[in-house]
Amino acid sequence: MENELKQLIIDALDLEDISVADIDSHAPLFNDGLGLDSIDALELGLAIRKKYNVKIDAEKADVVKIFSSVSTLAEYIQAERS
Amino acid sequence: MSKKFDFVIRTWSAWAPGFNNQGHRQNQQDMQTEKAGLPAHVPKALQRRLSPLARAVFNATDLCIGNVATPIVLSSAHGEVNKSLEMLKAMQRGEEISPTAFSLSVHNAISGLFSIAHNNHQEITVLAPGQDGISMVFLEALGILHERRNNTDDVLIVLYDEPLSDFYPSLSIGLKAPTSCALAIKIALSGQGLPLQLQRSPEHRHDSGEHALQIFAFLEFLTSENTTLQLGNHRQSWIWHKQ
Repeated sequence: MENELKQLIIDALDLEDISVADIDSHAPLFNDGLGLDSIDALELGLAIRKKYNVKIDAEKADVVKIFSSVSTLAEYIQAERS
Repeated sequence: MSKKFDFVIRTWSAWAPGFNNQGHRQNQQDMQTEKAGLPAHVPKALQRRLSPLARAVFNATDLCIGNVATPIVLSSAHGEVNKSLEMLKAMQRGEEISPTAFSLSVHNAISGLFSIAHNNHQEITVLAPGQDGISMVFLEALGILHERRNNTDDVLIVLYDEPLSDFYPSLSIGLKAPTSCALAIKIALSGQGLPLQLQRSPEHRHDSGEHALQIFAFLEFLTSENTTLQLGNHRQSWIWHKQ
């Protein structure tokens, strides 16, 4: 699941120079980590909705925590789908 | 006689297939196939957002910007309206719109990327001058210089356009851009450089073509021995004189 999510991030956000192996599941996705920004968060939210049919509400109180790393995102998606 | 505006072109640079950076003509056969390269100094996270037209703008401005951030006035007839068309088509197919595509489709998208990439916090304006063509960007830039807004001595003008989708009907002034192009011109009220004078003429002209063609006309004016350029569409026209 985590590797699949990493590939989705690479494809959806045009991260041409980055491979699945380069992304640390526990590293921050935004700012310091991969250097993604708020537009990327929206784009990733759309890609996740399309692929997993899981909606991440931007107004949700814990949205920052959900998007904090590949690991937290994968956990959230799996919990929502089960 | 209308008021005359004196100014100086400090430096200029173009990215246009068929011309090299300083406007010397290259083989015309290259015109359709040439694509602007990726500017190396732009952070990776931003590079992926640079469309071919944005790359043309970044390449043209690279040789003009210098070390001091100046106010910038950009001008484009249609910007990247082709992106809006693609989004409308996606909506028609019932698809959701990409937030990234939307953010990059607005008329000032390239100027926003430019501001981030160069950490430029000066006043930045983007015009869509319609039939008035490239004269309006000069008036806006001269206004900034005369008001001494931002305490600036220089203003960077950036003209850019790309071919419009065939979906859109040609205006009566027609003559769309043959290719993507960008022209950056740094101007000042005085000092070293090429002295020019801009003046409005009551003469109505109908032959100057759209903004994109006027960019090429100005590039030709800069690189040729011609001392005068007159451009206009339907309304009054404007004359640039080399002093």
